[in-house]
Amino acid sequence: MTVFLQSLISGILIGGVYALIGIGLTIIFGVMRVINFAHGDIMMVGMYLTYNLFTLAGIDPFVSILITIPLMFLFGGLLQKLFINRVLNALPQNQILLTIGLGLIMSNTMMLIYTSDYKILTTSYSSSSINVFGISVSEPLAISFIITAVITLLLYWFLMKTDTGQAIRATAQDREAAQLMGINVKRMSIIAFGLGASLAGTAGALVSPTYYIFPQIGSTFTLKAFVITVLGGMGSVIGATLGGIIIGVAESLGAVYISSGWKDVVVFVLFLLVLLFKPAGLMGKSRM
Amino acid sequence: MAKIPKMSVTNNVGGSPVAAIVTILVLAGLFLFPRFVASPYALHIMILFFLSTIMGESWNILGGYTGQYSVGHAAYFGVGAYATMMLMQFRQIPPWYGVWGGMAAVVVVALVIGSICFRLRGPYFVLASIAVAEILRLTAMNLKELTNGAEGILATELPPFTIGGTVVTDFLTKVPFYYIGLVMALLTIVVTWGVQRSKLGYCFQAIREDQDAAHSLGISLTLYKNVALIISALLTSLAGSFYAIYIGFIDPPTVLALDISVQIVLICIVGGIGTIFGPVVGAMVLVPLSEALRSNLIARAIFATGLVSEESGVGNFLKENLAHAHALIYGILVVVVILFMPDGVLGFFRKLAARKAKS
Repeated sequence: MTVFLQSLISGILIGGVYALIGIGLTIIFGVMRVINFAHGDIMMVGMYLTYNLFTLAGIDPFVSILITIPLMFLFGGLLQKLFINRVLNALPQNQILLTIGLGLIMSNTMMLIYTSDYKILTTSYSSSSINVFGISVSEPLAISFIITAVITLLLYWFLMKTDTGQAIRATAQDREAAQLMGINVKRMSIIAFGLGASLAGTAGALVSPTYYIFPQIGSTFTLKAFVITVLGGMGSVIGATLGGIIIGVAESLGAVYISSGWKDVVVFVLFLLVLLFKPAGLMGKSRM
Repeated sequence: MAKIPKMSVTNNVGGSPVAAIVTILVLAGLFLFPRFVASPYALHIMILFFLSTIMGESWNILGGYTGQYSVGHAAYFGVGAYATMMLMQFRQIPPWYGVWGGMAAVVVVALVIGSICFRLRGPYFVLASIAVAEILRLTAMNLKELTNGAEGILATELPPFTIGGTVVTDFLTKVPFYYIGLVMALLTIVVTWGVQRSKLGYCFQAIREDQDAAHSLGISLTLYKNVALIISALLTSLAGSFYAIYIGFIDPPTVLALDISVQIVLICIVGGIGTIFGPVVGAMVLVPLSEALRSNLIARAIFATGLVSEESGVGNFLKENLAHAHALIYGILVVVVILFMPDGVLGFFRKLAARKAKS
């Protein structure tokens, strides 16, 4: 029972970070209908940014998100303005390939700069844990979960209450109608991609104390992000939050009760099942 | 009815006497090539070129003609490679029989994948195809007793190929591989050509242009998509078997990874999707490019022009790193092609030619 609870809780904590990645992808998809295959690579850029801030300037990874968020926002906005914007009306396959290409450029540029060696970011609390009711919880995971929760709540507030947030949601609902209502959809797209990138970058920063950092880590997270967003329903922020936590728990339980080698298979099988039986996802409206 | 297929019969071989003569000359040149060029490196490049052509052409049947963008073709490549290699290494079955085992396995895998993925459309199909290929990769990693897991399989000995007791070839040089590759590449081109001109091909293209319209005209989507998938998967598995035997070593990251799937799609995108010679052009661009990067030819060329001196800091950096950067150049190439030549190199030049003819 303790083992079950233990893995359940660590699954939920990891799931929080997954949710951030998924929310980023889902916002980008919602506003632009572009599936961003470079999402994991953007996250990887965030990880290296955090790593550099830590090794060069000694800034704690959890504090560094204050720098990472705006920088990654700019990076995402730039990507949107320079590349993605040009293929908004292209065939979906060309959009997918463009983002794959951008991802390749990011991961290989990082490889040129940092080589493909695994980097480890060791903080004083990297391997320490807190004891709650007899269940030990990894400290960096717990902190990152709290930060994730705060960011997610802020994001909800932004999307629901502010004018810009509502304009983004309107663009996601119907691009043309939004444009007719005087919303600058191009600007919204840039903001949306910036938001997506900064969420991915933040996720990268939050996992950097517990994961190996290397240039090719992106594709793993890209695939996970797809699973999460499809599970929750493409374009649904609440769905992505739920999806992230479900995937975190499935992975964690799969690793304990089946084997750590097979845990990703569990995730992908779950993904296929959802695609087959509930293609719109848990929270999404059917867009098939 | 759906739009008339864009590239219907524009590049049929033998349309004019000039084209026929050129075709015969090119073929003769290709068949005589090893007689005049003995350099193993040149042969190696040609073999890689054939391999890429086979991979591109076979993807093209499903992705280019039928419009089903599979980004999981590593599954068929890997299953073909693994089946042939496992039969040879663990059961002592020579590869020319093992290939058939690989093809049989691939048909089963393709039918399973088809029954799952063809229920989905557009981006969902792409994601599902990736997921299935990833499941296969992870399975190959984890079934250590069967596949050696992450260690991979190393071919220790390739038996000589004999017919009725006489040794046809012992595979000691690259020449037999050259001819096998050449014949298989020609085979896939002929298959593509046949498909394009047949009723089957028209059904495929109708599905690509508008699958609902095709369906309403009585074209069975499930049937034709699965037929396209099986043709495509069989040829891809051939490429996989050939790769495994030629290189002599396989492991999950080299034959089942997402990179392979992306590379296969790239060959077509760069050359031009849905055309017979698109993948050939794509292979002609990509293979020399990545080899030139790998062997540091480009760095040397930059030094030769005198732009950067070899001793300078930048020169040193280029020399050290450009060889590892071939994936970076790949990425840049994809972005450039998608943004500026969305119909591939072939389509781009065709458009240029059309514009010139107009003015």
